[in-house]
Amino acid sequence: MSEMEIRQYAKDKGFHPQTLERWLGWDQPARDTLFRLAVSLKLGENHLRDLIDWLEEIALRDQSTIEEILASKPITDIESDPRLGRADKLKRVKEELRRLRFPRLVQIEDSIRARIQEIKLHPEIRLTVPPGLEGGKLRVELSASSPEELKRLTTKLAEAASTDAARQIFALLTGALGESQAKLDQFFSG
Amino acid sequence: MQLFQPEEVIVERGSEGSPIYRNLRNALPLIPFRTVDAGSTHGKTDFPAATFGVTKKRLFLTQHKGDFLKKCPGSDGQVCCNYFVINFASNCPMDCSYCYLQEYLADNPELKVFSNVDDLLTEADKLLSNHRRFFFRIGTGEITDSLALDPYIGFAREVVPFFAEQPNVLLELKTKSDCVEALLPLDPKDRVVVSWSMNPQRVIDLDEHGTASLSERLLAARRCQDAGYRLGFHFDPIVEYPNWESDYKEALDLTFNSVDWRRIAWLSMGVLRDTPSLKRIIRDRFPRTQLLTGEQVLCPDGKLRYFQPMRVDIYRKMLRWIRRAAPTVKVYLCMESKEVWEQVFGFAPTCEKELGNQMAP
Repeated sequence: MSEMEIRQYAKDKGFHPQTLERWLGWDQPARDTLFRLAVSLKLGENHLRDLIDWLEEIALRDQSTIEEILASKPITDIESDPRLGRADKLKRVKEELRRLRFPRLVQIEDSIRARIQEIKLHPEIRLTVPPGLEGGKLRVELSASSPEELKRLTTKLAEAASTDAARQIFALLTGALGESQAKLDQFFSG
Repeated sequence: MQLFQPEEVIVERGSEGSPIYRNLRNALPLIPFRTVDAGSTHGKTDFPAATFGVTKKRLFLTQHKGDFLKKCPGSDGQVCCNYFVINFASNCPMDCSYCYLQEYLADNPELKVFSNVDDLLTEADKLLSNHRRFFFRIGTGEITDSLALDPYIGFAREVVPFFAEQPNVLLELKTKSDCVEALLPLDPKDRVVVSWSMNPQRVIDLDEHGTASLSERLLAARRCQDAGYRLGFHFDPIVEYPNWESDYKEALDLTFNSVDWRRIAWLSMGVLRDTPSLKRIIRDRFPRTQLLTGEQVLCPDGKLRYFQPMRVDIYRKMLRWIRRAAPTVKVYLCMESKEVWEQVFGFAPTCEKELGNQMAP
């Protein structure tokens, strides 16, 4: 793959010169691997910048190469999955790379999500956590179309609040990561 | 510690009569001095960000035009500790990978020392004597290291005697150096806190370039304590990495074994934080640093920090180790939200004055 092709891609997409410069600053195998991915997923600048950040940081942390990361099975499985459209592939590739880049954050997010499902709330009650878990608070949304329904939902919510799963959600949000990996594993295994 | 030496001192005309100039002349007899007119560009570059490290090698002596005393800006939405800052110099001879000055001073990176110390003292006197009912904490280490240049400029010797006589102030000299020689003969009268930014030796080796080692900092702290100074320690920025716990616990143990914790005025904690723009600068200047590989997320104040449950866990562990060794030492968090305070301490100060007052002697 030539530098020219990357320059043309960046030009067509209107990338900032700094983004292009960073990409071209990589060694050739790394920049070619990203180029193939960029073309197949039609990456715009913001997505590309996220990928560049994450890939560089994962490679530095794990002492691996960008080609190795992008050649890992979870990524290639997504790329070659014929059932997925381009947008879904992009979403999943980014999810997978975020998982690699922020393993402990994603583990806690997954664990909280699992606890929320475990509570089996009515669809009119929605529990969410803030991006990056910042703030340490659980957000609760209720949708009711009558006072009776609201009363029913709040009763359900009160019941949910006293479950072990709810307690675990708050423990995870407030930094109860535990003293040891064993305790952490115990937490995540429920 | 390898003592920093400027390659050249540039003196703005009008600064030659100051005690700082005299001190520089005496301390640096072999270094070239060049006098320039006020407002001269004296070789300023058009690309300061690219030459941030280079500009630190020249020391520029000039007069400060605005107010010396400023309220510490803190960070949006975070609990503030009600602190005032005196900027007697700008930029720092040390070169920590994470330093926020790389961004904050990107357009004005010269290593400057302000010669008009008399104006500084007049301003401080006015503030302190007009508001005797209030207690002030004032620091000099916001945009420079308080002591790293002291062997040459003799700033501490010029200001400590003044602050030592004030009934309503604590002056904090915050440093990563061991340049305390000039402080030792002075009597601080319990009004001066000498404090150190602390990190395990591993972090110092990797990311605090040109600073004193952990043992040098602690030896200097011990000497200051023996000379009558109160001490402060800032475990900030705390860097999370595999086995950070044993390194930080060891650094805390070393600290409490080196000094009498009963005379520690305060100890603060803060995790590594940067901004997206600072991150770009760090990546350019220190491409191999592992600092940027931590699990940092963007917080509402625009700063990147380790995600909240992780940093609460870090603070709780640190606090437990601190409490074991020094049960009543005053501990606070730097640039953290009310929620994090509550999760770590079980309370958050109701207002910044409350936290400031807690730090009073």
